[in-house]
Amino acid sequence: MTRVMVVDDHPMWREGVARDLTEAGFEVVATLGEGRQAVRVAGAARPDVVVLDLQLPDTSGVEVISGLLAAVPGVRVLMLSASGEQQSVLDAVKAGATGYLVKSASSQEFLEAVRRTAAGDAVFTPGLAGLVLGEYRRLATTPDQADDDGAPKLTDRETEVLRLVAKGLSYRQIAERLGLSHRTVQNHVQNTLGKLQLHNRVELTRYAIERGLDDA
Amino acid sequence: MPDALQVPLWRAIAVFRFASMAFVVVSVIRNVRDYTHPVAAVPAVAVLVLWSVATAALYARPAWRHWPLLLADLLVTLALLLASPWVVGRTALDSGAPTLAVAWQAGPVLTWAVSGGRRRGAVAAVILGAADLLVRDKLTQSSITGLMLMLLAGVAVGHVARLTVESEQRLQRAAELEAAGRERERLARGIHDSVLQVLAMVQRRGAHLGGEAGELARLAGEQEAALRALIATSAPTAPGPDIDLRAVLDRYATPEVSIAAPATPVLLPAQVAKEVGAAVGAALDNVVRHCGGGARAWVLLEDEPDGVVVSVRDEGPGIAEGRLAEAAGQGRLGVAQSIRGRIADLGGTVEIVSEPGQGTEVELRVPRVAA
Repeated sequence: MTRVMVVDDHPMWREGVARDLTEAGFEVVATLGEGRQAVRVAGAARPDVVVLDLQLPDTSGVEVISGLLAAVPGVRVLMLSASGEQQSVLDAVKAGATGYLVKSASSQEFLEAVRRTAAGDAVFTPGLAGLVLGEYRRLATTPDQADDDGAPKLTDRETEVLRLVAKGLSYRQIAERLGLSHRTVQNHVQNTLGKLQLHNRVELTRYAIERGLDDA
Repeated sequence: MPDALQVPLWRAIAVFRFASMAFVVVSVIRNVRDYTHPVAAVPAVAVLVLWSVATAALYARPAWRHWPLLLADLLVTLALLLASPWVVGRTALDSGAPTLAVAWQAGPVLTWAVSGGRRRGAVAAVILGAADLLVRDKLTQSSITGLMLMLLAGVAVGHVARLTVESEQRLQRAAELEAAGRERERLARGIHDSVLQVLAMVQRRGAHLGGEAGELARLAGEQEAALRALIATSAPTAPGPDIDLRAVLDRYATPEVSIAAPATPVLLPAQVAKEVGAAVGAALDNVVRHCGGGARAWVLLEDEPDGVVVSVRDEGPGIAEGRLAEAAGQGRLGVAQSIRGRIADLGGTVEIVSEPGQGTEVELRVPRVAA
């Protein structure tokens, strides 16, 4: 049974989501209202998936995600946000979240997103695809990043797939249009996230080395 | 009227009045033996001292800094000045003896200047200066110099007083703006943390239940999107005439219309951004017209090095190949035509792609013109 932890500062929302998850056959191992508390509890609760509200009162989404990944290596994080806080969503994805959903999504969409996140798929909204496309574009045009071989680039196929996701096509529709298998489309989408997350980790390490923080 | 910054000016005038009063008293004591009517100097000095004390007390209250007291101030000073020839005597005055007001007569010039600015200060200086010249039979260099100095003092102090009023008003406006901004942010946070969450919740549960609850859910969703747009504090854009195209397109976001854009501002000249926004609006109207009210649509904004690309896709039945060209040939693509027109004016291109079963896609490309 998939173990799910729900982190959201709104009690009504938290309970509603937990009830939906339980009814759908997930095991809700913890429901929490604060990010730091979630990071502390995660080690003991050992969730497979964390459903995380991106706007928590005590700490940033990036901090919670880094903390969760350190506490439970391999945990999957599905972010929820009430509105499209664009930069914070992008930052969270770079920090390691693998899925994003707006809170206005239906229950079915939400449960499906949790299922797919648990299975290791990247869950994209069209909005997230637009952000990721923009981020690759920014990396390619920022001078000191573009000269650097380490800056991640999208293949033509990946760009094509992401653009279609951003335009609201389902993976099935994309597979149909491009003559690919559903699995291949999924892998392309996942790769776009993986490269960004890897680049983010490399950048953080390099930053740490440049600042001499690795000595500490 | 804000007057916190004027308080020091009024205080300075009171100090000046007392200092000049002391000067007058000393000069009267030194010269009283030569006066034509020395006894009359006593009530004159009494008036001078009393008036100095009275004005210091009265001008300290903003309510008194108006015409009645200003005029009385001028008249008392004029009276002292005009009494001078009789008390002091013409011959003494002409041989250079000071009047009964001497430097003290600059007091009303300063009060007029501080209360009403340069022009009022100059008027008071001219009136008192003319009276000063009148009481002497011949023009001496020193009395003309005195008049000029008083005139300059009136104009300069009036100017400073006006500046303090203006900067005070500017300060207050800035404080108000800042307070309004903070309050707006506080409201936005509050709404975000409470109302938006509940609306999203209603939308989610209601959609699950269907029927009438589904209708309520749809309304809640619409209100959520509207409220969110209302409280969205737009990111500060770069200075200059460029505006962020994302902000323009975000206005079209509804539960049915998804807007995908980069996380960084997409800056375009205001006119170009407005035209692109209008073209996207026309494309979305077209979606509603052809696919019905609840039809979903997706807008994707991409920031390319040489221009911006905006795609609008719907899930309608699509247009069969050939039908588009046929319709265009017959001039029946009204809305598409208006989109093409707008974008062509910007030097851009419009591509309409329709695949049966996958909706219709309108792609607008607008080049970035080097400024």
